[in-house]
Amino acid sequence: MGRTSFSMTASGKVALGVDIGGLKLKNPVMTASGTFGYGIEFSPYMDLNRLGAVVVKGLSLRPRDGNPAPRTIETPCGMLNAIGLQNVGVEAFIDEKLPLLRRFSTRVVANIFGETVREYSEVARRLDGARGVDAVEINISCPNVKKGGMVFGTDPVEASKVVRAVRKATGLHVMTKLSPNVTDIKVMVKAVQDAGTDSISLVNTITGMAVDVEARRAVLATTVGGLSGPAIRPVALRMVWEAAQVARVPIVGVGGIVTARDALEFIIAGATAVQVGTANFLEPDSAVKVIDGIEDYMKRHGIRDVNEIVGSLKTPGPRANPTGSAR
Amino acid sequence: MSNATVIYNEHVGGPFFRMALRWKGRGFRPGQFVMVRVSGALDPLLRRPFGIYDVLGGRKGIEILYKVVGRGTGMLSELDPGDRVDVLGPLGNGFPMVRDPGSLVMVAGGIGVAPFFWLAKGMAGKGRRPVLLYGARTKEEVRLVRPFRAVGVRVRVTTEDGSVGSRGLVTDLLDRELVEGRTVYACGPLGMLMAVSEAARRRGVKCLVSLERAMACGIGVCLGCAVKTRPHPQEQKHYSMVCSDGPVFASEEIDWDSF
Ligand SMILES: Cc1cc2nc3c(=O)[nH]c(=O)nc-3n(C[C@H](O)[C@H](O)[C@H](O)COP(=O)(O)OP(=O)(O)OC[C@H]3O[C@@H](n4cnc5c(N)ncnc54)[C@H](O)[C@@H]3O)c2cc1C
Ligand SMILES: Cc1cc2nc3c(=O)[nH]c(=O)nc-3n(C[C@H](O)[C@H](O)[C@H](O)COP(=O)(O)O)c2cc1C
Ligand code: FES
Repeated sequence: MGRTSFSMTASGKVALGVDIGGLKLKNPVMTASGTFGYGIEFSPYMDLNRLGAVVVKGLSLRPRDGNPAPRTIETPCGMLNAIGLQNVGVEAFIDEKLPLLRRFSTRVVANIFGETVREYSEVARRLDGARGVDAVEINISCPNVKKGGMVFGTDPVEASKVVRAVRKATGLHVMTKLSPNVTDIKVMVKAVQDAGTDSISLVNTITGMAVDVEARRAVLATTVGGLSGPAIRPVALRMVWEAAQVARVPIVGVGGIVTARDALEFIIAGATAVQVGTANFLEPDSAVKVIDGIEDYMKRHGIRDVNEIVGSLKTPGPRANPTGSAR
Repeated sequence: MSNATVIYNEHVGGPFFRMALRWKGRGFRPGQFVMVRVSGALDPLLRRPFGIYDVLGGRKGIEILYKVVGRGTGMLSELDPGDRVDVLGPLGNGFPMVRDPGSLVMVAGGIGVAPFFWLAKGMAGKGRRPVLLYGARTKEEVRLVRPFRAVGVRVRVTTEDGSVGSRGLVTDLLDRELVEGRTVYACGPLGMLMAVSEAARRRGVKCLVSLERAMACGIGVCLGCAVKTRPHPQEQKHYSMVCSDGPVFASEEIDWDSF
């Protein structure tokens, strides 16, 4: 008991602030891109000032229409989406959305994407001087039109080209968001950190599909979509843990986080911060509940500073089976 | 997690239930909807959208009228008075009010009557009677229009086999009602909405439709509930969101060929 009673300060306050490679957040909880609009939409439901950061919907150089419908379908403990990166475009974001977001004392992370390396760097360059943007998050899970639609996020060479170009185009914090649709995530981690990213977030959605058996048709108009929600959490957690083994830059954990307990799994496994995504659809104030829950957990365990638990996963004892095989 | 309490959950025949919820929602308009989280569990994961059927006296809460079609609605039908759910709303744009109730032609098929009741109730007894043209497939569906008659709506029913009301499709009744100065509000199966829109267009009568799409968020942020619309001259926008731009659209805005 000693530690618990000893470490509580008179006010019971715990330190939640984190620093992810120069980007300082008041707490480790952000909202994930594409699940939180441009942030302002949520102000009727919660106090946006509470959040560590808001990550806005992916922005491209020009506005995009997105995919035909149907675009979403619920699956067990998750959902598939094929939105097609519909967005207002970087200029409209800066002119119309950002002034409203600036009124809050929350960090703003602009999620960006392009279909060529040049498009990525051009979007980053436009955001560079925009007052109120604190960081860019590069979404590399996007088809490279110049390379016949191959995805940037699954090729370490292409991914590092994007990161290097964005790095050059902006003085903002650069976070790179990795796709889970790769065989070895550590290869991607090394590639983007050598290219100069300041932090790494993972995971984006896992590719999946659903079939309407009555009609014998794919449910989504695009056939294949991205799976998110609690269904992907164990996979995301494993990848975050693997990434943390080799990363020299801070890791941001994403995938299926609904509660503080879920977020703590990621933090203990090595994430300095987390993003809450699909859970925002269940309860618009999910991220705030996660923050409160982390605070409660720290008080319960007598932890003064959240950074104490980052990567605090205990290494397997002698009885554990290091290969993880069944026998 | 749960902000509403079931007052009653009445089986009204066949797959249909009428549920009253004590809930502190504010600022409703007819034709709006709510997103209901049926349980705190993670499967089924998402909220379910339901039209506001009626608003309880003293604004104590709302009623929804729903059809059991799958897991979420099945779980809803098993709730008892006192059970808790979570309601998000009111959401969406809703139907505009019409000045002369006698100029309103409501067209509905099946469970599509749900978003019309509160609107009709509000207009009944204020001048000429509005009309509801209702296409039913079962006798349980026919029963759903009783409350409309009770509040003074002129109801016309069609069934495909002619067992109740006239025989045929709801659009067969529509032609007689499509006179100048009238407005059509329609909600129901897609095929019906397309036929109603087309009939109204031919006769130059204004027509609004309430659409359905699978929804994840209900508040315009996931961009999942897209419907293809004709681009506005200024905005280069080709998709609208049923939850936040709708669910009610002018029928000429919709690109019906995209379905
Ligand atoms: C704006 C709006 C208003 C609605 N109002 C009513 C109403 O007043 N009464 C009523 O009975 N029904 C209404 N619906 C339809 C109702 O939301 C669906 O029947 C319900 O979501 C089905 O859930 P389920 O779990 O039982 O079915 P499942 O088939 O198991 O659901 C699987 C997934 O598909 C979605 N889904 C299935 N059918 C529909 C549908 N027709 N529309 C939208 N999403 C669907 C579900 O929400 C869920 O995410 C409305 C839909 C919308 C979009
Ligand atoms: C509807 C939807 C839209 C999304 N849009 C984007 C996007 O524009 N850019 C991006 O990097 N990730 C996008 N994502 C991925 C999420 O940010 C997140 O990485 C993923 O959903 C996993 O987290 P979750 O399980 O908590 O949702 C989207 C996810 C969903 C469900
Ligand atoms: S349901 Fe998310 S935008 Fe409409």
